[in-house]
Amino acid sequence: MIHRLVLLLFLLSTWAFAQQQQPPQQPSSQQPIHNDIVIRGGTMLTVTHDKIENGSIYIHNGKIAALGQTVQAPSSATVIDATGKWVMPGIIDSHSHIALDEDVNEATSPITPHMMMKDAFDYNDKMIYHALAGGVTTSLLLHGSANMIGGQAVVIKHKYGLGRDDLLFPGAPQSIKFASGENPKRVYGQRNQLPSTRMGNFEVMRQAFIEAREYMHEWDDYNAKIKKGDKDAKTPKKDLKLEALADVLRGKLLVQIHCYRADEFLTEMAIAKEFGYKIRAFHHALEAYKVADKIAANGVAIATWPDWWGFKYEGWDGIPWNAAISMHKGVRVALKSDSEDVTRRLNQEAGKIIHYGVPEDEALKMITLNPAWIIGVDDRVGSLEVGKDADIGIWNGYPLSSAALVDKVLIDGDVYFDRSLAGLGLTHYKEGQ
Amino acid sequence: MLRKIFVVLALIAASLAQTAKKSSPASETTNGIIVLRGGKLLTITHGVIENGVLVMQNGKIAAVGPAASVSVPRDAKVIDVSGMTVYPGLIDSETHLGLTEISADQMTNDLVETSDEIMPHMHVYDAFHGETALIPVARINGITNAIVAPASQDTLPGQDSFIQLDGRSAEEMLMVRDVAMPLNFTGRQRRNEGPFQTHKFPSTRMGMAAQLRQAFLDAQDYEQKLAAYEKKKSSGGDDKDKEKGGSTPPKRDLKLEALLPYLHGQKPVVLAADEPNDLLTAVDLANEFHLKIILNHLAHSASLLDKVAATGFPVIVGAIYAQPKESERYDAVFKLPAEMAKRGIKIAFASYDAHNVRNLPYAAGYAVGFGLPYDEALKAITINPAQMWGVADRLGSLDTGKLANVVVANGDPLDVKTDVKHVFINGVEIPLLSKQTELRDRYWK
Repeated sequence: MIHRLVLLLFLLSTWAFAQQQQPPQQPSSQQPIHNDIVIRGGTMLTVTHDKIENGSIYIHNGKIAALGQTVQAPSSATVIDATGKWVMPGIIDSHSHIALDEDVNEATSPITPHMMMKDAFDYNDKMIYHALAGGVTTSLLLHGSANMIGGQAVVIKHKYGLGRDDLLFPGAPQSIKFASGENPKRVYGQRNQLPSTRMGNFEVMRQAFIEAREYMHEWDDYNAKIKKGDKDAKTPKKDLKLEALADVLRGKLLVQIHCYRADEFLTEMAIAKEFGYKIRAFHHALEAYKVADKIAANGVAIATWPDWWGFKYEGWDGIPWNAAISMHKGVRVALKSDSEDVTRRLNQEAGKIIHYGVPEDEALKMITLNPAWIIGVDDRVGSLEVGKDADIGIWNGYPLSSAALVDKVLIDGDVYFDRSLAGLGLTHYKEGQ
Repeated sequence: MLRKIFVVLALIAASLAQTAKKSSPASETTNGIIVLRGGKLLTITHGVIENGVLVMQNGKIAAVGPAASVSVPRDAKVIDVSGMTVYPGLIDSETHLGLTEISADQMTNDLVETSDEIMPHMHVYDAFHGETALIPVARINGITNAIVAPASQDTLPGQDSFIQLDGRSAEEMLMVRDVAMPLNFTGRQRRNEGPFQTHKFPSTRMGMAAQLRQAFLDAQDYEQKLAAYEKKKSSGGDDKDKEKGGSTPPKRDLKLEALLPYLHGQKPVVLAADEPNDLLTAVDLANEFHLKIILNHLAHSASLLDKVAATGFPVIVGAIYAQPKESERYDAVFKLPAEMAKRGIKIAFASYDAHNVRNLPYAAGYAVGFGLPYDEALKAITINPAQMWGVADRLGSLDTGKLANVVVANGDPLDVKTDVKHVFINGVEIPLLSKQTELRDRYWK
């Protein structure tokens, strides 16, 4: 009897845990549902299949149901007139630290893969709103770069005004942040701890993966024994840190690496090969242009700024043609902010990169589809395509320019920002909530 | 014998060098006249001239006007700029060019003396490094002139210089030394905040204000003593005074001396404040000492703009990328330039940067998006700063007689997509090269 009760309690607790982990699939009650919307008129920048002049988009249940010169939609659909406007997918920022308060870096150990940014996520942070008002609909909120292996990111949609779980991107894959170079060696070197050099940086990382591999094997052996029906198999100790690293080795996490220098891209790729995991993207990546062919050959993307440079030694060789050269050599390039300022005007950043040699359609991709790929949500967002989430910005001019402003932003087919509204221009936000 | 060979070799080398010199593009024309023909001229002071001609000679703009009315001198080097936009070199009203190279490396930084709040005797020209790699990066995007200011940690961090972004030495580039004096009253200066937790006076706004007032009073006192001494000296004085020590000159004090031109209103004080209370305190103080004011920042002082307009003070409003306050709409700071221009306030933009001074025009373009009239935006990076810094006789517009600091681009100078094609400083074409283009050319193959 007691045995059963314990089992029941156990089941209940795991059920509750699962509930917590899983963002709700159904929109919460406070979220108004607009089943049918048509955006009519305007120039549609689809990203994947060129632009449609004077086009229309039919949105059904938060997804793009049809788009083209004309669309079939129920007469009851709400019409948003976009005549004379520019319509593009929501901007995606693949490197952001907003809405994490001061909790960006758990800088107490160079290896902290078990830190979950979701635990620090402040869904009320006004920066989410500021970015939304700049046309951003999805962001990857990353751990800082103090540690060689930092924590695990949270992916959000900028549904400012809703509750925490409503802002989490449902089903987005988990990313983990790695770093390299000057930041880890500075942070720990100043304390006279390991690592204080690049040699130390990479050794600390290799050591961590060697331990993780042993841990993983221990568990694999145990699970194999259990599967065979071995009831005497001794349960290995659960270790959150090693578990997270094992997830890297198992390929369960998208690896996002803060890395500037050409030699370090090569070392990072060699270590990844040695331990059998894949790198999703190098972030900042200011010297990517020097070894772009090798980065491309490894299928690694970069998330970079158009023109930041010179703020430290590893940024000294940064050039504004980095994106163009890397792109031309086959690297998937995203432009990111890493800044609560720049995240508000990534459209300008994409415009800027055009005069540094990136074709306009590619520049547009660098703030939409390419960062979506880096985050692992390119099947859901990043372009105007049938079946994708209706995350859409309606702009008052060609978005990739100095003076264009976003008039309306839709996420999952619902308007979250409308510049014409008085006050903050928010549709779901109530002061003091 | 060997020596003879050397002499011969040296002669050959010298003649080769001479030939090389002759064939360089600079000497293509014998008279040094360069003509830009067929472009759209944004003159700033007298409208837009479609299909215009601009003549540069002896470092100055010799003629400017419609193609039909300007004759092209013989032997001039003519550059066809049809389809292009021609405008005066842009002026950045606050940078740290020449005071830093790699931000994180303190050895390359000469940004500000933080040992004391009152440091008006620091002259950025003493640190200005003309050979910095950052200047070519800025000028090939059309920035030809800039204010170099110390960083803003001190209340009075020193004196600015106005520079030309080309020259063989720092000396040539420093157009106006000690052009203005920054006065920072933004709260960042308080020592009990940020990295300066030294627990020394001042640690509050009251302390900052009192310290500043005392500094100005000390300077006035110093000046009176100096004047009294001079008076006595010129009237011959008498031996009794000498015995008493009354006619010995006051001990020379560089700090107080530095404040005198500003107390006389001879040069502008660049007063930075963000919050309304700081702005009011600082302006009261400045008025008390009859300072000539250029305001700076005002990121959160939208509520005082009518008052600001009434003072007639110009404003450097480059900080439009500052964050709005918690309760404010997202565009509260973005639209400040528009709100100021609407009230007739003269504005100028600044990058407040060193590495990305090149992005100055985009801030002006962004302000256009938030309602600043286009012409005002253009003026705010050309003629307005030229007037504010006292160089409008030489810079800020395409006018005959001004320095030939001229930019040619393939479109709207304020738009991010626009590519600069030619830059002239003092009528000399600047090669579009920088540390960054060298790296580009090495790897873009």
